[in-house]
Amino acid sequence: MTNENEIIYDKSLLGVEYHAGIFHVTKKMIKKFCKAAGESNPLFTDEKRAGDSEYGGIIAPPTFCNIFTSGIKRPDTKVQFGDVVYFAGQAVDWLAAIRPGDELTVSTKLKDVYAKTGRSGKMVFEVWETSFKNQHGEIVNLVRESTVRRNRKV
Amino acid sequence: MTTNRSIFFEDVEIGDDIGPLEIVITTDQVRDFVEIWGDVTEPTRFTDKTIALGEGLPGPIVPGALNIAILSKLLTDWSNTVRIKTLDVIFRGMVYHDICLTIQGIITDAQDLGEEALLECDVFIRDQEDIRLVIGKAVIVIPTREANAVGQR
Repeated sequence: MTNENEIIYDKSLLGVEYHAGIFHVTKKMIKKFCKAAGESNPLFTDEKRAGDSEYGGIIAPPTFCNIFTSGIKRPDTKVQFGDVVYFAGQAVDWLAAIRPGDELTVSTKLKDVYAKTGRSGKMVFEVWETSFKNQHGEIVNLVRESTVRRNRKV
Repeated sequence: MTTNRSIFFEDVEIGDDIGPLEIVITTDQVRDFVEIWGDVTEPTRFTDKTIALGEGLPGPIVPGALNIAILSKLLTDWSNTVRIKTLDVIFRGMVYHDICLTIQGIITDAQDLGEEALLECDVFIRDQEDIRLVIGKAVIVIPTREANAVGQR
């Protein structure tokens, strides 16, 4: 017997870390990110003023790591529910500065799968957490991404 | 809003606004952003009207990653003293290109913990019908005047 909130998926993936790649941060990337996001804070855009700051040089804006998360390949969770998937939310924990020249080792894990029922019916959420560790072994950024699966309205 | 302002913990009250700012996210801006993803060269629902229409959308949408970047900018532009600790957002509705949007934050809690002073804020992006398309919470670190004077924080 199954209850309606039971979710069928590959539970063996829960909590297992997957290496997602190594990414090199360049000044050009930071500059392009700032241009697209309309960033004007001198910490991210002005070499001289950032040089006079506590960071001693340009750093990346807080949500910069998102430019890497979109390309990460993750194993299929085989969630058996829903026929449409939306990007539901994102949380970024900024733990330390990311600088040009950093080499970020990225790993990702399935953190949670849960169901909720709203006005439009049942939804199943899938949460992946991705960590970014710099060349000094320091975790600089944690990004949690949620997707939601639901049945298309008929 | 400029980033030349230096706001300190003592300057802030619970209930204070951050912003609001009116913005328009242009198609060019989205194209620039999507290009940084590197391997995304083909048209997508973020950049191409035909593909967006094919997916049942009324037009190309702004990627979630750009929406959260814009909310982050709202906070870091508010004061050059601010550091974001956590930014957690929910995408409630599609954000489309080239429409007038309002971005805003509201301070909901303030705590001086000694080691650091923290502000909690609700943040959102709303459209002209006052629908909150993106909502979220942020925790930001802000120096106290005293700590700033002695250069401790």
